[in-house]
Amino acid sequence: MTAAKAVIADDEPLLRAQLRTRLARTWPELAIVHEMADGRDVEHVLEAFRPDLFFLDIHMPKVGGLEAAQAIGSRAHVVFVTAYDDYAVEAFERGAVDYVLKPFNEERLVKTVQRLRERMGSRPAELQSLVESLAARLAPSRDEHLRWIKASVGSNVRLIPVEEVLFFQSDEKYTRVVTHEAESLIRKPIRELLDELDPAKFWQVHRATIVNVDHIASVKRGLKDQAEIALRGHDETLVVSRAFTHLFKQM
Amino acid sequence: MIAQSHLLEGLTVRRVLYVTAICAAAVGAVFWIFLNTYLDLLVTALCVGYTSMVLFTIAGNVRQSRVPREAMQMFAVIAGSILGTVFAGLVKGRSIPAMFTERLSGVAISMGLGIGFGCVAVAAVILREKSARDQARISRAESARHQLEKNVLEARLQLMQAQVEPHFLFNTLANVQHLVETDPPAASRMLESVIQYLRAALPQMREGATNLGREIDMAQAFLEIHRVRMGSRMDFAIEVPEALRARPFPPMMLISLVENAVKHGVDPCCDCGSITIRADEGAGRLRVAVADTGEGVVAKKGGGVGLSNIRERLQALYGGEARLTLEENAPHGVVASIEVPVEGAAA
Repeated sequence: MTAAKAVIADDEPLLRAQLRTRLARTWPELAIVHEMADGRDVEHVLEAFRPDLFFLDIHMPKVGGLEAAQAIGSRAHVVFVTAYDDYAVEAFERGAVDYVLKPFNEERLVKTVQRLRERMGSRPAELQSLVESLAARLAPSRDEHLRWIKASVGSNVRLIPVEEVLFFQSDEKYTRVVTHEAESLIRKPIRELLDELDPAKFWQVHRATIVNVDHIASVKRGLKDQAEIALRGHDETLVVSRAFTHLFKQM
Repeated sequence: MIAQSHLLEGLTVRRVLYVTAICAAAVGAVFWIFLNTYLDLLVTALCVGYTSMVLFTIAGNVRQSRVPREAMQMFAVIAGSILGTVFAGLVKGRSIPAMFTERLSGVAISMGLGIGFGCVAVAAVILREKSARDQARISRAESARHQLEKNVLEARLQLMQAQVEPHFLFNTLANVQHLVETDPPAASRMLESVIQYLRAALPQMREGATNLGREIDMAQAFLEIHRVRMGSRMDFAIEVPEALRARPFPPMMLISLVENAVKHGVDPCCDCGSITIRADEGAGRLRVAVADTGEGVVAKKGGGVGLSNIRERLQALYGGEARLTLEENAPHGVVASIEVPVEGAAA
């Protein structure tokens, strides 16, 4: 039987080196055929090196260990490496998945290596469902909504978190972005903003106005079936046109 | 319609009943002086009372700033007493000329009584309103203070969690573990950084004020650790004039910006990134900036939570005098800067 081939993936170079030296002690026949700093190149690595085994750090920039494991599927064995992930470790225990904790404990590594050696001849375990559920919990919430507004101030581009925006209002060619501290103009029209902002937080109240509901202090009835919005800590009031007053009708 | 309902705001059933009761009691108190019947006097009193009440309400709602509201209201009551007495005469079928000739004394007494009772009643109302307003202001201030205390506490808890973040600690220790075997001098340097970082970070959990130097030291230790861990992917520079290190600076803000620069700036991009901390002072303001050449903000990815916390704390500490701004760095990355007034320099 040929020697097993392994790939190490960790974004920290010293920790890759550490795992490599430890493995050289505990599993001298194992060939480390490749190292990577994130999980992006999994397809290429599978193709080029045909490894039997991946050591995958869970937290890596761009593509983490869980995502990489999903891509690998049952084409190779997978051992997860993690510094601290309570529920991941718990799930690994339940699902009999191999994992290594950082900083490494020599004894534990020896045991894991023993288990892995026995498993090398068999087919890689099917981890898909376990990994999927974990990935859903660990992955940073994929928000499809706009979170930052970029506004030019002189020659600089100011970055405004949307939570701080009181309201957007179209002003002929531009859109006004008003916060407690400043007011800036952007080119993105109200209609586009409406598509991209979180609709639970940002309501259109007028053809030309989108308000951040978190900053509304009160809504009063105004002239001709319209309403008027007062904002917390801001003097300007906003008109709610008739088409949108239903948003503020009492439930 | 709108304007009218606005001017009469506060004209409640309660107020009408209150005025009616005062009129009834006032007539009860003085009707023995007059030859008139109680009912006849009550009609006069109610005319005076209601007219004054309407004028008083309007005076309280007119938006103007030249005359104090209370003076307007007193004047309204005086005018109301005079108008109301005339009105009462008209109700009773007397002619206006007669009121100011043969009936003048009665009219004058009625006006005088109206003014007297009216002023007492109004004074009572004004005092009650004022104390209610004071009460509201006090409780508003109170709740603002509570909110502030809560924010500061939250910030501390968040930071405390961040500082002893297990990922940070265990990954760092794993690096030290490896260096102990392969490069003992480097291991020792890294341990020193860890110790310096913890020493700088831990007492700040308890203290309120600190100076820029200590904040810089903590940030530097944090960056040293990450430079070892991230290898060639990250470098940093600190360009802070020695003289500014003694300046007071709020705790745990710089480290938050530095953490953001590592976590959201340099770490997500795989092969780039330097972080520079700069400080300068001018026009009575101290400006501390953290610039990274990392990924920059991604329009749809978060990371502003720590920032709004810093903003709230700056607001709490300096009112509107301090600022946190975020700007795009050229060609890529973010510059986050905190600007605070320098104590004593503004004068």
